[in-house]
Amino acid sequence: MSDTSYGANQDTVVAVRQITKVFPGVVALDRVDLAVHKNEVVGLVGENGAGKSVLMKIMIGLEQPDEGTIVLRGEETTLRDPSDAIKNGIGMVFQDGSLLPNLSVKENLFLCHEADFRKVGILSLRAMRDAARELLKRVKLDIDVDLPVTEISPAERQMVEIARLLWLSQQYGKENPLLILDEPTTVLADAERNRLFSILQDIKKQASVILISHRLQEILENSDRIVVLKDGKNVTEIPASKAKLSRIEQLMVGHTFSADRFKEDEQATPGKVEILSVKNLSKAGLFEPLSFTVRQGEIVGLVGLVGSGKEAVCNCIAGLDKADTGDVFLGERKLPSGSPSAAVKAGIGHIPIDRRSEGLALMMSVAENVNLLVLDRLKTAGFLSPAREKKNAQYWISECQIKTPSIGTLCANLSGGNQQKTVISKWLSSRVRLLILDHPTRGVDVGAKDEIYKLIRRLAKEGIGMLIMCDTLEEDIGLANRMLVMKDGRLVKEIESSSQKKPSPQDIIGLIV
Amino acid sequence: MTEVSSKGGALSWLRERFPASFTAARTWLRRFGILPQILSLAIIVGVFAIGTKGKYLSWANIQTILSLAAIPAIYAIGLHQTIVLGGIDLSVQGVASLCAVFVGILLKNQYNSYNVGLWIIPISLAIGGAAGVISGLLNTGLRIPSFMATLGMSWILYGMAVLIGKAVNVQILDTRIENFVSATLFGIPQIAILAVLIAVIVQMVQDRTRFGRYMYAIGGDEVIAKQAGVKVKGIKIAVFTMAGAIYGLASLLLACRLGWATSRMGAGLLFPTITAVTVGGVALTGGIGGAKNAVLGALIVTALNDGLVLMQVSPYIQQAVNGVVLIVAVALTLDRKKLGFIK
Amino acid sequence: MADIEQADTAESQDVRKRLIRPGRISPVYFTIALLVVVGLLFYLGNRNFLSLYNLNTIISFSAILLMVALGQMCAILVGGIDLSVGGLVSFISVVFILLIEPLGYLAYPACLLIGVIIGYINGNVLTRIKIPSFIATLATGGILTSLAYVASSGAGAPRPVNLPPAKYYVVDTIVNGRLLTVSKVLYIGFAVLLIYYVILRFTSTGRNIFYVGSNIKMSWMSGISITKTRNIAFMLSGAGAAITGLLISSVRYGGDPMVGNAYILNSIAAVVVGGTALTGGAGGVINTLFGAIFMSMLDNGMNVVGINQYFQQSILGAMVIVCVTLTFDRTKTPIVK
Repeated sequence: MSDTSYGANQDTVVAVRQITKVFPGVVALDRVDLAVHKNEVVGLVGENGAGKSVLMKIMIGLEQPDEGTIVLRGEETTLRDPSDAIKNGIGMVFQDGSLLPNLSVKENLFLCHEADFRKVGILSLRAMRDAARELLKRVKLDIDVDLPVTEISPAERQMVEIARLLWLSQQYGKENPLLILDEPTTVLADAERNRLFSILQDIKKQASVILISHRLQEILENSDRIVVLKDGKNVTEIPASKAKLSRIEQLMVGHTFSADRFKEDEQATPGKVEILSVKNLSKAGLFEPLSFTVRQGEIVGLVGLVGSGKEAVCNCIAGLDKADTGDVFLGERKLPSGSPSAAVKAGIGHIPIDRRSEGLALMMSVAENVNLLVLDRLKTAGFLSPAREKKNAQYWISECQIKTPSIGTLCANLSGGNQQKTVISKWLSSRVRLLILDHPTRGVDVGAKDEIYKLIRRLAKEGIGMLIMCDTLEEDIGLANRMLVMKDGRLVKEIESSSQKKPSPQDIIGLIV
Repeated sequence: MTEVSSKGGALSWLRERFPASFTAARTWLRRFGILPQILSLAIIVGVFAIGTKGKYLSWANIQTILSLAAIPAIYAIGLHQTIVLGGIDLSVQGVASLCAVFVGILLKNQYNSYNVGLWIIPISLAIGGAAGVISGLLNTGLRIPSFMATLGMSWILYGMAVLIGKAVNVQILDTRIENFVSATLFGIPQIAILAVLIAVIVQMVQDRTRFGRYMYAIGGDEVIAKQAGVKVKGIKIAVFTMAGAIYGLASLLLACRLGWATSRMGAGLLFPTITAVTVGGVALTGGIGGAKNAVLGALIVTALNDGLVLMQVSPYIQQAVNGVVLIVAVALTLDRKKLGFIK
Repeated sequence: MADIEQADTAESQDVRKRLIRPGRISPVYFTIALLVVVGLLFYLGNRNFLSLYNLNTIISFSAILLMVALGQMCAILVGGIDLSVGGLVSFISVVFILLIEPLGYLAYPACLLIGVIIGYINGNVLTRIKIPSFIATLATGGILTSLAYVASSGAGAPRPVNLPPAKYYVVDTIVNGRLLTVSKVLYIGFAVLLIYYVILRFTSTGRNIFYVGSNIKMSWMSGISITKTRNIAFMLSGAGAAITGLLISSVRYGGDPMVGNAYILNSIAAVVVGGTALTGGAGGVINTLFGAIFMSMLDNGMNVVGINQYFQQSILGAMVIVCVTLTFDRTKTPIVK
């Protein structure tokens, strides 16, 4: 089935062996092997949560593996931090970019390594300029190197970063550097994308590359070898020439599960009444006009990979962002755009992806967080009543099974799962009609995950509509009544996912890559 | 990640209506560094020239302006570096008072027998620098936000100054520095030339040395700079030290010009210095602006105040005007994208 | 960066363990302990320290400081700081005396209103023009100081403004003297304390101040109006400073445009030493009460024991730095600017 050769050969530049990384409650990587040879492009694919980013972080020294080794050019090495990695010729170009916005191109290229250009302590701008232009030739870039980087295009910025990494490895005498490109095409327009890939062939002659992209077609066309990860484990490795798109899709998601992990048999039938109605909503650069509805008690899953625009859609509905066109209706009422307070008042709840920085007031108690939205209801004679607050908090703590020593415990002292339940109960307490759940079980241990699934089922039975985005396709399929598939900013398909007839991940994956 | 967009307010309304011109204006402001400042200066000169019927443009008045602007300019050169880093230094008043007290004690005076002469120059630099080192350590070592650390230092130093100086006004009998301060070279006050000289040196350091570029890197994005290998802690401490030393020098010059050293010399220095820095175009968010901006800002503020005085506006109204100018200057130069929610 | 695993990393668990100690109540015990220890030290320095007369002086002074400290606490709780309190206290102190002539008793509410309006302006400069609070309030404080000077003497040098004896009865009825052997100042102080306590603890806007200070993004996403909450916090700060100005002028029978300068440091110190974190969202009225008492005791004690008055400022500065270090919530800011 799989033609594997995790082993290294004399051409191997970098290899990781049996890498395991565990976070509390989650096994991010389970004995993963990866070898990159000289002058090759390895395409790394996998769903969100497959472990790609953790693996890359380990390879550039941002994280340490719990088990396993890193082998560089035949020798076992430890990478304590990113500068260690750079010194060993491993560098990564992140999606957001790591150039200094207020510095010029040439200054960014040579930052912290300007020694060559010094004359009596003073930097020779001309020497830097010339050297910069020479360097950029390696990535076929011809721009004014005195410009601040904010004034060049994202594609050009990427090139500059690649050039810098190439140059740094040269400085450290590493002849075959490894460049990791993390979703480089997400921020690029079509023409720029082609340009990047044509340059990739040139770069290949100077370095090895790991290319991470959710666009399988790009991976197929530009890699020499494709490595597939799933659930933190190696699945397979195929030379690109022998790979077929459909096969890779299968490998990315094929998996057997204990049935009922997502409590499918508790899946409720949605009511007839429409709660949320989105008409022609769009936001330039993020997603194109789309329309859909959510009914009472219905769980609608928004499915898509990086750049699909699903997060932006949810932000517009929740009022966190202003849409360019279109309307959002909750029940009969049209919601004003860009106002979280209007959305909240109407009955939209939003469980954010990052509960620590967006979901809770960590230094305040569980009770205070739970009661945040309903303070007006907990008053007597116009003033907050401690008795009513206590009662409300206790009610929801037991309803959502939040494990806390007392209602006055600071949220910072709860575990991730209980923090998440606190966020959920905050919204439930305010009688939401539509709840947006952004990766509700991220970073939550298995036991708490189970409880959250039960909660979600209960909410559906009570008639609350839900818009959900999950960590994995399985979770989306398992929980949802219906799925909206998005790709590159467009709503491509609506798929039914009733409890009797659940689609398989393979059916969906082809649509989103 | 949710993009927090600016909400509300007249500026945002303008920004939404004319997005292209706003971005263009901003790029323009950044690119052409000092052009808006030169324009403002021209407008001020124009307005007051007319308002005072030409008296404003007399050679004597111009000399006055240059001479008066020099010392605030030097203070501004010291302060703006900490802002470029992304922090701020509110300790000017404390440092100035402490230096003044030492100047009073160590230069020839009627109360004791000290007479260090020109050694007072390195001594002042050292006192200011020492204060800066402590501020820098509080910020980088104890991780206290710079505004709090330097504010606290200001209080501490001011208290020490008054403790040592005991509210006595000491007449400075060694007039060599004072003479230098008041003399003119080819009609231009020497102290203004000195200010320009210091500005040129500092600007050179900012533009052409690694240390200077790292300063801007930290101000641009501290996290990225750190990852790239910039020694953030060391540079921060160095910058605060430099700022303190420059305050020391400026305080020495100020005391000598006044002829009297008192422990209250620092009072009221912070405000005009920050105004000068922001008016000059140094953004509070960091990473933008250099010594030339600081000097130009000081010049503009002095020109403005001089004009107000000539037109006989009450000095206390002047302070109110300065306050408004400060708010406007900060609002215009702030990089909103960096701020998200303001504290 | 692409998908960041938001699991309970080892780091966040460590943070949890560290955070168990600085809860919201313990700083008060720390302050009380500090009070007792330092009080004893002063007593050893000079027996008179704990005399009834001296204690009375301490309590009265702390009541006056408490007013502006409570206001400052509100600004700090919401995540900012109010450096204009000095200017405001000076301004009100002068304007109050000037307003007694035409308005009589109504000068009191009038000045309170002025304080609230200025707080509102501070809040708006902050939220609408989006300038950091320490610059905005620095600027408005400067403007207020200069206005105080102008109000006291026009274009001349600033000088105290005395209350004409004919009008003494106004301040005597309200502020001076005693009621049931307790100085009226204390009643006022206690009443204001109670009002602030009730507002912060028992109203939604007060609670929102904590939410906004604790996590502004979450508050915004949950529909809390950041603008309104901040405005209210700064209005409360303005009110507190105004009350302090009123009390000072009443007690001294005159206004002084320079009187407010010390209150910037003293109010911040009282708040911070009492245990409220500069980062916002944690702290309370009781904390500030003990902070103010401590500050007052420190001030009085240093005088009684004979420490140079000017050196006191240095000590205060050092204390503020220490307390800020102890209470600063490091989880909030990965980089400290």
